[in-house]
Formats: sequence, C-alpha cells, structure tokens
Amino acid sequence: MEGFLPHPWWEIWYALSLPVVVYGIYTMNRLVKERRETLPLLALAGAFIFVLSSLKLPSVTGSCSHPTGAGMGAILFGPAITAVLCLIVLVYQALFLAHGGITTLGANVFSMGIAGPAVAYIVYKGCAKSNLNFYVSIFLAVSLADIATYLVTSLQLALAFPSATGGVLGSLYAFGTVFAFTQVPLAVLEGVFIALIFKYVIQVKGEVMVKLKVIDEKKLRRLKGVVQA
Amino acid sequence: MNHSLLDEHALASPLRHKNNRLKLGLVGAALLVGVSSPSPVAPLFIALSMSFAAIRLGKVPARFYAGLVAAPLGFAVLGAAIILFFFGSGPEIFSLELFGLRIGASADGAEMAVLVVSRTLSGMSCLLFLALSTPMVELFALLKALRLPDSFVELSMMIYRYIFVLLEVVVRMREAQAMRLGYDGFKNSIQSISMMAGTLFIRTMEQGERLFTAMDARCYDGKLFLFEERRPVKIQELLVASGYVAFISALAYFSRGSAIF
Repeated sequence: MEGFLPHPWWEIWYALSLPVVVYGIYTMNRLVKERRETLPLLALAGAFIFVLSSLKLPSVTGSCSHPTGAGMGAILFGPAITAVLCLIVLVYQALFLAHGGITTLGANVFSMGIAGPAVAYIVYKGCAKSNLNFYVSIFLAVSLADIATYLVTSLQLALAFPSATGGVLGSLYAFGTVFAFTQVPLAVLEGVFIALIFKYVIQVKGEVMVKLKVIDEKKLRRLKGVVQA
Repeated sequence: MNHSLLDEHALASPLRHKNNRLKLGLVGAALLVGVSSPSPVAPLFIALSMSFAAIRLGKVPARFYAGLVAAPLGFAVLGAAIILFFFGSGPEIFSLELFGLRIGASADGAEMAVLVVSRTLSGMSCLLFLALSTPMVELFALLKALRLPDSFVELSMMIYRYIFVLLEVVVRMREAQAMRLGYDGFKNSIQSISMMAGTLFIRTMEQGERLFTAMDARCYDGKLFLFEERRPVKIQELLVASGYVAFISALAYFSRGSAIF
C-alpha cells in the first residue's frame, strides 16, 4: 500500500531487499551468458507470474482473492531469480493496477519476492529429499510460502506501528489475527491451485518440467504412471 | 478480465506528450514529501492536487478514478483501524465493547491512524498520476538512462510485451470454459481455473522457445536499442513543477506541529 509505511521503515526494507535483488540479477546474467535461450524463457515466466497474480481465484466466502504465483516461480527457477521477477511484476502491478506502491516496494519485494520464495524453495527441496508425494510437497511449499509472506507483512507493519501496551509483539498479534481470516484460506487455496497446475502440466507435457530440471526423466515416468493408473 | 489496465489510459492522456523526466521528478518529489510529512495536512493537499491533475489535465473519467482509489483504500482503512486501537498512549478519546472486551482508542492512536490514511491517499494519487500519464514504453528508455543493468531492462520489456499476449489467451480460454459451464460451482471452478493456468503455462514455454528462435534469427545479442522522443521542457512547466514541489515542502514543514485530536 503506497505511503503506508512511515519514514525509517520503508528505507530499511529497501536496503534489505537490494542485496538479494542484485544477487538475483548477477545469477541471471550468468545464466543468460551460459545459455542464451533463458532470457526469453524468464521473460515469459515473469509475464506468467503477473497474469497468474491478476487471476481471481474462486473463494468459498464469495469474495475473490489473488494468488501470488511467487511460490511457483521459486520451485521452477530458484529463489534468487524469482526475487528479480517479483520486483518487475510488483512494479507493473503498481503502475497497471494500482496495487502496492513505490515507497512500499522494498517491503513488498522482501515479503513476496524473497521471504515467500525462500520458504517455498526450502520446503520443496526438503520434501523432495524425504520422498513425499510430489503434489503434496508442491502444495506444502506454496501454502507455507503464502503464510510466510503474510507473517512477514504483519511483522513489517508491527515493527512500524508498535502497540502501546504490548510493544511490537502486541501489534504483531493484532495485525496477524486480522489478516489471518483472509490469508490462511487463501494460502490453502493457492496450494491446491498450483498443485493442480503441476498435475495438469505433467500429464499433458511433462517434458517441460524435465527441461526446467524440476524433476528428472525417471520421476516423470513414475508420476505419469501414478496418474494414469 | 481486466481491461481497465492503466496503461491504456496513459496512452490516451494529453499529459503523455510532456517531458517524462519532469513528470517522474515531480511525482518522486511529491511521493517523498507525502511519506515523510509528520502531519496529515500536506499529504491530503498532495492527494487532492494530484487527483485534480489526473482528472482535469489528464482527462481520466472521474468515476473510473474513484474506483481505482477505493479498492486499496479499504485495506488502508483496515490497517489504520488496528493502529487506532493499539498504537500510542495519551488520553483515551473513546472506547467500545467488543465480545465482552473493552478496547479503547487513544489520541495518539487516532492521530497516527489519520496520518497513515492520508499518507496512503497521497502516495496512491501520485502513483496514479504517473501511471495514468506515462505509458510504460516511454519509461524503458528512462530506465536505460538510469544505468540499470541491460539484462534487467530487457527482461522488463519482454515481460511487458508478453503480459498483454498472455492476458488475451487467458480471456479466450476463460470464455471457452465458461460457455461449457466450467465455472458452475466451487469445485468445477477450481478444476477449470487450474486447467486453464496449466495450459497457459505450457503455451508460455512454447512461446518462449519461439521467441528465442525469432530473436536469434535477427541476431539478438542481448541488447535492444530504444528510441526516446525528445520533448524539451518548457520553462513555464518547469516553473510550475518546481513551484508546486516548493509549496508542498513548505506546507509539510510549517504544518508539522498541528494536531487534530
């Protein structure tokens, strides 16, 4: 929300996000030099994240909600590059749809582009090691990423507006409970949504996932076998 | 779908033909003044003047503009309500019973809540002014001039281009699904929207390969050249803009001690 964060805080979140984004650009440059066909692919992925985040998910309560798409980006491309993609997508959201803003960009990049994807990536890798069902691990990674994003956002607000009686913790609790009503169901919903996307893509055109090194040939065959049975 | 993308209004805006650097500088200065002002007076003035400029000079329909402001404002008011009840000390101005719990709002909290809402309004109106008067295409040349890494600017440009391509695909798939009753009921909706997004993803990847082939065939080596139209700043425009910035800075400075509660 433009202008919502007061003076020292919006600068602080910019300062925290900047090194990650710079590292992301560096990683991206190296990848592009190695394999030139990645830049168009990343561009399409960025556009995909934007379009995904502008879709309205059907919701039980009748209101609609937007997925973030960042969790999916992290699973496909890793968290550093996702941070760069999220930065661009967030600027476009500010300029096209008046979502978010320029002064709060640092904070938003930190919560949606860095904290969320990092959690998604760690959870996804962890689940892959423990041999959990592929779709369950995607569901977990995406949902937990959304919840991490929402917790970090609450923390950012709580740090900027500490409560008189309970301090930072008191207002963290207050912001957390208010947002929990919409954010927790949304996280579950997005988890199901992204897991279904993966299922569909693997059924129809699993080679894409092998190419992106999300899964290997063996796993693809196994997943297809499971799906067809 | 979303056909109210702000970019379309920017392309039609009469303010489009003003110097981009001037617009960007003006909006940047107003954003900073709005967010760092310690009292709600200056932000509210910025919000009013920027909205006026967008509607009057930029010829944006007032009703459309109001809709744009209303959506994010709801979120800001929700946040401000929490601040109202939890932030600050000082004399209690009112309290209410909620589920047997008594919560009270202090003068400090109320002051802060008003300030936060006014800052949000001012920031949003600045952003909308820029978004509704400057098409994205014109900002790319500016990004390059600011010495941002080439790969970053190229990536932004390609993302920009493909957002519109993909949105068109989404609209078509959605209509096709809706005609076949794909959005009847919650379970069907989730099925359909996931299937649509999955197909979109596959399309995206194929398109990415085609784009690479096309660009490779035209000897793309990681640099696209941009054309920036020269639009000299008129001296009156510069004077008006700097006068405005000076005025809002002075307003923020002199109203710093004022309090409502």
